[in-house]
Amino acid sequence: MKRRDFLKVLSAAPGIAAFSCADREEAERLTTTGSGVSDADLAWHKAPCRYCGTGCGVEVGVHDGQVKAVRGDEASPVNRGLLCVKGYHLPAFLYGEDRLRYPMKRDGAGYTRISWDEAFDLIAANYQQTLDQHGPEAVAIYGSGQWTVFDGYAATKWFRGGLRSNNVEPNARLCMASAVTGFMTQFQSDEPMGCYDDLEAGDDFVLWGNNMAEMHPVLFSRILDSKRTKPGVRIVDIATRRTPTSDYADLYIEIQPGSDLALANGILHLLVEGGQIDRPFIKENIVFKRGIEDLDEIGYGCYGDQAEHYGFKDKARDSSLAELETFLADYTPAKVSALTGVPEGQIRSLAKLYGDAGRGTVSLWCMGVNQHVRGTWMNNLITDLHLLTGKISKPGSGPFSLTGQPSACGTAREVGTLAHRLPADMVVMKEAHRAVAEDIWGLPSGTIPAKPGYHTMDMFRALMRGDVKTVWIQTTNPWVSIPNLHRIDRQPGPDGNYNDGRFIVVSDIYPTPTTAIADLVLPAAAWVEREGVFGNSERRTQQWNKMVEPPGEATEDAWQIMQVAKRMGMGHLFPWPDDDWHEPMYEEYRRFTLGHGKDVAAYTQLKETRGLRWPVVDGKETRYRYAAGHDPYVKKDQGVHFYKAKGYGEKAAFWLRPYHPPAEVPDDDYPFWLSTGRVLEHWHTGSMTRRVAQLHQAQPAARVELNRADATELGVTGGDMVRLSSRRGSLELQVELDGRGTPPRGSVFVPFFDESKLINRLTLDAMDNISKEPDYKKCAVRVERV
Amino acid sequence: MCSTRRTSLGPHAVLAVVSLMAVPLLTVPLLTVFLLTAACSPPATEVAVPGTTDAVKTAALQRAERRSFDGAPPAIPHTSFGIACTACHNLEGVDVEGVGYAPPSPHGNTQGMSAISRCQQCHVFARTDEVFSDNTFVGLRQDLRSGGRLHAEAPPTLPHKTFMRENCIACHTGPAAREEIRTSHPERANCRQCHVGVATRSEFSPAGQS
Repeated sequence: MKRRDFLKVLSAAPGIAAFSCADREEAERLTTTGSGVSDADLAWHKAPCRYCGTGCGVEVGVHDGQVKAVRGDEASPVNRGLLCVKGYHLPAFLYGEDRLRYPMKRDGAGYTRISWDEAFDLIAANYQQTLDQHGPEAVAIYGSGQWTVFDGYAATKWFRGGLRSNNVEPNARLCMASAVTGFMTQFQSDEPMGCYDDLEAGDDFVLWGNNMAEMHPVLFSRILDSKRTKPGVRIVDIATRRTPTSDYADLYIEIQPGSDLALANGILHLLVEGGQIDRPFIKENIVFKRGIEDLDEIGYGCYGDQAEHYGFKDKARDSSLAELETFLADYTPAKVSALTGVPEGQIRSLAKLYGDAGRGTVSLWCMGVNQHVRGTWMNNLITDLHLLTGKISKPGSGPFSLTGQPSACGTAREVGTLAHRLPADMVVMKEAHRAVAEDIWGLPSGTIPAKPGYHTMDMFRALMRGDVKTVWIQTTNPWVSIPNLHRIDRQPGPDGNYNDGRFIVVSDIYPTPTTAIADLVLPAAAWVEREGVFGNSERRTQQWNKMVEPPGEATEDAWQIMQVAKRMGMGHLFPWPDDDWHEPMYEEYRRFTLGHGKDVAAYTQLKETRGLRWPVVDGKETRYRYAAGHDPYVKKDQGVHFYKAKGYGEKAAFWLRPYHPPAEVPDDDYPFWLSTGRVLEHWHTGSMTRRVAQLHQAQPAARVELNRADATELGVTGGDMVRLSSRRGSLELQVELDGRGTPPRGSVFVPFFDESKLINRLTLDAMDNISKEPDYKKCAVRVERV
Repeated sequence: MCSTRRTSLGPHAVLAVVSLMAVPLLTVPLLTVFLLTAACSPPATEVAVPGTTDAVKTAALQRAERRSFDGAPPAIPHTSFGIACTACHNLEGVDVEGVGYAPPSPHGNTQGMSAISRCQQCHVFARTDEVFSDNTFVGLRQDLRSGGRLHAEAPPTLPHKTFMRENCIACHTGPAAREEIRTSHPERANCRQCHVGVATRSEFSPAGQS
C-alpha cells in the first residue's frame, strides 16, 4: 500500500481529528481520577450477558447507582473471561436518552403519560371485557426468549391458571421451536444431551448453516483455541454463503438453500452402505419412526387455507432399519450432488467424518436449520447421524443445538411459554400433565384448558382477523421481526387512534416500531436493573441480582403481570410479598422440575455459583444427559439410556425424513435467493445494540450482500443502491461487496436489525410443518439498480 | 508496506526510545513515589496527571475516545487495509513508513480463548460518527494510580488485571506507550519476575472457587 492511500484510509476513519484547546481540557478531565470514577471505586457483581443464548458470564462494575463497566468473568466456565463486541459494550445499552420511563397511553397521534394504577386498570379492564365478550381464546400474551424465568413463569401461570387461556407464546417460536420439536420427537425431552465441554472434547465440528464466528463468537473462539492447541481438530462449514466462519473452516461446503435435507440423507446413505453404523448401539437404544411425507398434505403454512390457519399434525408410524435402507436408495451421491450442488467427494468426506468411530463429532446448528420449512425434519436428520453412529451422549460427540436468545432455553423451553407447553417438558394436551400443574398451583382440577393456544404466526393472523382482541407484548419487537410484515400492518383512524376493536399493550425499554402501533406503552426494567434468571444453550441456569435502579418509573415485566392479575381477582396465583417474591416464585417453579431429569438448581445455590447445568441432583450438575457416570438418572451399567422417552420404550427415535423443496424458489421474475439473519454487532432487531455508539457506528444500516459477478452484471458496485423486490414488498438498500459475507451467484443476504430497512416486508410467512417456526432463510427476490 | 519491521526489542532500540522521550530516567522513581503517595491518600479528588506534555494529554484523549469505558475494546481508528490485523499489530509492533507506528497487540497467549485469532470479534471498524440516538452513559475512566509496594525500593505490584493484557511491552514500552506508564527498564525481559499481580476476587466468589 502506498503512503498516500494509507493516509486516505486513516483520514477516512471518523474520530481522528486535530485537537483543540477544549479537547485538551477534556483530556485533562479524562486522565484525572478525581473527575471520574476509578476501578477501585466500583462494586463488581456477576450476571449473564443480556444478548445471545451463549450465556457468557460478565462482571458488572457499579458505582453510585450506575453501571460503569463490564468485564468478562474469568471464572465463568462458559466464556473464561472473553466477551464479544456486544458484550463488552453492554453498559451503554441501558443509558440511551430515549429510554421509556413512564406508562404512556395513545392519545391521537401522540402519547399521554399516565400512572401505573391507570395503566394496570386499563389492561385489566380490556382483558376482562374481551374475556366476557369473546372468551379466553381472544386474549393473548406474546413474550420472549429474553423473558427471565420470572417473567415467563408469571405469564404462563396467569394465563393458563388465571385467564384459562393457552394463548401464551414467545418470540422463541421464531428462533428455536424446530429444535424443541426435534428433541421432543426423538427423546421426548427437550434440549441437548451435551454441553460446551464438547467444544474442547470434540475432534470434528460440523456447522450446519451456522455462522458461528459472528453469531456465537465466544463459543467459536473456544473451538478455535481447541484447534490451536490440539492438533487434528477440524471444522466443516456447511453453508449457503461464505462468512467469517468459512475463513476458519478446514472444509467449506456450499449448498443450495433448503437442500440440507438431501445432504443429510446422502450422508446416511453412505454410512449405511459402508456399514459405518453402530449396530449394537442401534439395537439397544433406537426405534425407527416415520411420519407424513406427502408434500400436498403438508404444505408450507402460507398458501391457500393454510395462510389463515396452519394446524398440520404429523402422524408417526413404526419403521425399521430395513425400511431405512430402501428409503435411502433415493439418496445416492450422484442424486444428492445434483440436488445440493455439493460435489460427490465432499459428501463422501462428510460420511467418512461421521462414520469414523475413532473421532468425536459434534454437530452444531442454529437458525439455518431451525428457520426452515422442514426445520424439525432437519433437526431430526442431524440427530439421526449421531444415533446411527452411536456418537451421542458422550464427551466430544453429539448433536448440539445453539440458541439465539439468553433464555430461549431457560424460559421458553423449560418454563414452557410456547402455546402447548407446561414446565419441564409437559404439555397442556395431556390430562396428567395439567393435573401436575393444577396441583402445584393449587387450582381446581380442570382449570387449565386442554387445547393449545395459537402458535405465533397464527396468533398474529388471528389478531389481524379480529379473533384475538387484547394482546400484551413484552420484551420483543414483532413489528420488525415477523415475516411478511404486510400482514400485520395496523393503520390508525382519522383521529390518530386505532378504534379497531383491538387493544395492544407493549412493554419495552425503548421506542420501537412495535411500541409505535401500541395503544398502551409500558416502561420495562432491563437486565441488571432487576433480579433475574436466564437459562443458556447448555442447560445452564444463571442468576443475577438487581444492581441499579431502572430509569423513571420502569418496572420488571413479571411485576407488571402480577399487578394486572391481582386487579383481575387472581392474586392467589402470586401469594408472595411485594418485596420478596423472586426466590419463592422460582422455588415453586422448581417443583415442576424435580425428580424428572429436568431438575434445576436451588435458588440459594444459583446465587453462589456461575450457574449450573440441569439436571442438578444433590447439588451436582450434569454435563452429559442419558450417560452413565454423568447423568444421575442413569444406572452405572446402562451405558447410554434415553430414559425420558417413555413412549418409545426408553429408546431414542430415529426419524426417516425425506427431502422437500423450499416454499418459494427463484424463477424468471424473482431470480435471486434472499436469506436474512444477523450481524456480529447487532442483536436481533437492534433496539438495544443500535443505542450503543460503537455498535451503531460499526453497522449503521442494513446493506445487501451481493456476489461480485451479479453486481457487475447489474452494473452496480459496493455502496450503490439497489432495489430488492419480492412478491410481497420491496426495499432500497446499499450494496456490500466482498464484505464479511459473500453469497454465491444468484443469492443475496440482508440482516434484519435495521428498523428503517424492514427486510421482513419481503420475506415469506412459510413455516415448518411441525414446529410452526417460519423460514426466514429462503424466498425469491428481484434485484434492480436504482 | 511495512518497511521497518521491529523484530526484536533489544536494549539498544529500547534505550533509543527511552531517550527520545526526553524524560530523565532518574525522575521515574520519584514519579512513582509521588504516585504512591497519591494512591495512599484518602479518596482523591485531584490526583495530578503524571505526564504534563500536550502529547500525553492527546494520547489520553485518543485512548478514551476510542473506547466506551476503560476495559472496553477500542474501535479500530483506521479503515481496513485488507490484510491480517496481526501483520502489523504483532507482539512487537511495526513501524509503517511514512505513517506511523502500529502498536503491538497487548493480547499475549490468552489462556484458553485464542484472543488474537479473531480481532474483529471485539474490535470493529467505525463506518460513521453519527449515533442512532443520544446516550448518557459515562463509563469507567482509566485509573492511573500505580500498584502498591512494600517499601520504596520494592517493585510495585500490578495495578490492573492482566487477562488479555499479558503482553506488558505493548503498553509499557515503545513509541506508542504513554509517557506515564513507560517502563524505565524494558531490557529486563520477564516483567512478572518482579511485578506480581494481585489476585482480586469479586464479592460473590465463594471460598475455594476461582
